[in-house]
Amino acid sequence: MIIEIEHLVKRFGQLEVLKDVSLSVNKGEVISIIGSSGSGKSTLLRCINLLESYQAGTIKFESKDILGSIKGINQYRAQVGMIFQSFNLFAHFSVLENCVIGQVKVLKKKRTDAEHLAMEILDKVGLASFANASVMTLSGGQKQRVAIARTLCMEPKVLLFDEPTSALDPEMVGEVLQVIKSLAKEHRTMMIVTHEMAFAKEVSDRVLFMDNGIILEEGTPNELFNHPKETRTKEFLQRFRNQ
Amino acid sequence: MITLLSKIPQDLFGAAGYIFSKYGSLFFFGAKNTLYIALSGTIIGLIIGLGIGILRALPVYDYDSKLKHWIVKTVRIITSVYVEVFRGTPMMVQAVFIYNAFLPIFKNSKLLAGIVIVSINTGAYMAEIIRSGIQSLDKGQNEAARSIGMNNTQTMIFVILPQAIKNAFPAIGNEFVVNIKDTSVLNVIGVTELFFQSTTVAGIIYRFSDTFFVSALIYLFLTYSTTLILKYIEGKMQISGFDGPSSQTTPLIKGHYKAKEPKQ
Repeated sequence: MIIEIEHLVKRFGQLEVLKDVSLSVNKGEVISIIGSSGSGKSTLLRCINLLESYQAGTIKFESKDILGSIKGINQYRAQVGMIFQSFNLFAHFSVLENCVIGQVKVLKKKRTDAEHLAMEILDKVGLASFANASVMTLSGGQKQRVAIARTLCMEPKVLLFDEPTSALDPEMVGEVLQVIKSLAKEHRTMMIVTHEMAFAKEVSDRVLFMDNGIILEEGTPNELFNHPKETRTKEFLQRFRNQ
Repeated sequence: MITLLSKIPQDLFGAAGYIFSKYGSLFFFGAKNTLYIALSGTIIGLIIGLGIGILRALPVYDYDSKLKHWIVKTVRIITSVYVEVFRGTPMMVQAVFIYNAFLPIFKNSKLLAGIVIVSINTGAYMAEIIRSGIQSLDKGQNEAARSIGMNNTQTMIFVILPQAIKNAFPAIGNEFVVNIKDTSVLNVIGVTELFFQSTTVAGIIYRFSDTFFVSALIYLFLTYSTTLILKYIEGKMQISGFDGPSSQTTPLIKGHYKAKEPKQ
């Protein structure tokens, strides 16, 4: 097990967003998290990456509490890559520099090595020819692929996707999902918050349905999508089918 | 004396031309000091402002230690006292107070006193410019930097500041233009800048509006050429693809993203 979450509680003021969430993630497992807006999916990912603090419970990464040492937090984050809904590329850098800066500054790699790996990964996401372009000139789909490349350059052990296609025009969703699918085939450990049900069904080893701050139901894609047990899950999936 | 005064043409432009040709060196000396004080005051002020602005925008997270929370809070209080005091009082008052309070240090150099006063005053404004430049950035920039493992210092130096300074550049340049004009208050402590020199000239020939018409033109020349240079640099920054973060996400997406948060 690479990540173990026990009794996680997250509050924003009075509002309890995560109520006693427990979850373990195996190495190489692809987990999709579905559920309606406000169910706590994104917050769960953000807690795992410590972009949000939490009020109770523990998160262990490779059997160590991630809050173990304050200094270790940055090193931990580098191992748990996050891909954001709004890309959050460094706007003042070129595509290549976005992929290089973390390797050089955080992993203390030599610039030539960093650029070599960055080009390899940019090639993988199909953007090697854009290496020297300003990120401002890219389309949404290209930006998100650069964001994925930037994260991959850190060679993280876990990838967290926070609604990676929600901010994209429909015709650009495909190219990003294609990249994520190819990563799933490499048996990387991934947690994906998504509203793309067909995609979740295809790539996931396990699907979680979150509702109202708890993991209401979990199972294989077949179990969850074709034979949901809980009424809330059925209602949620029904709404998607009707769309 | 009578003969001297009678030589001065009666019309404004004629008189201005006469005064400039006769006392040009005095004006030049003043203008040189004005530019010198304004430029060094703006640069030192920017350095102070960067330091204070960064301190004021220093992030602190729930998992940080109690001590760090306390330090950050204290630093914020101290820096905001500095900023409020120097933005909330006239520079003329600050000049008289600081010059006299530290008279032993400034006794031999009023120019130094002028630079110190302008620097401290500008520092307070720059601190606010830098802080708002930092806070105007999408918080996603900070989150992305942290998510690839950068610490606060790295995030600040490599991600936040380059963009914040670029966004704040017009405001920073504007401070320089304002300083060229505002150094005129330093005449109150006898710094020989352009206003002081104009008073001297006007005192010699006893023609105030004519003399100050000349100094107005010199001020205008200084500020306008500075503005042109700053605009040129700004344009250069734009061309090099060094664009602000605001256009990184479309407004629609940003709105969508923000609207979701309170619900969670």
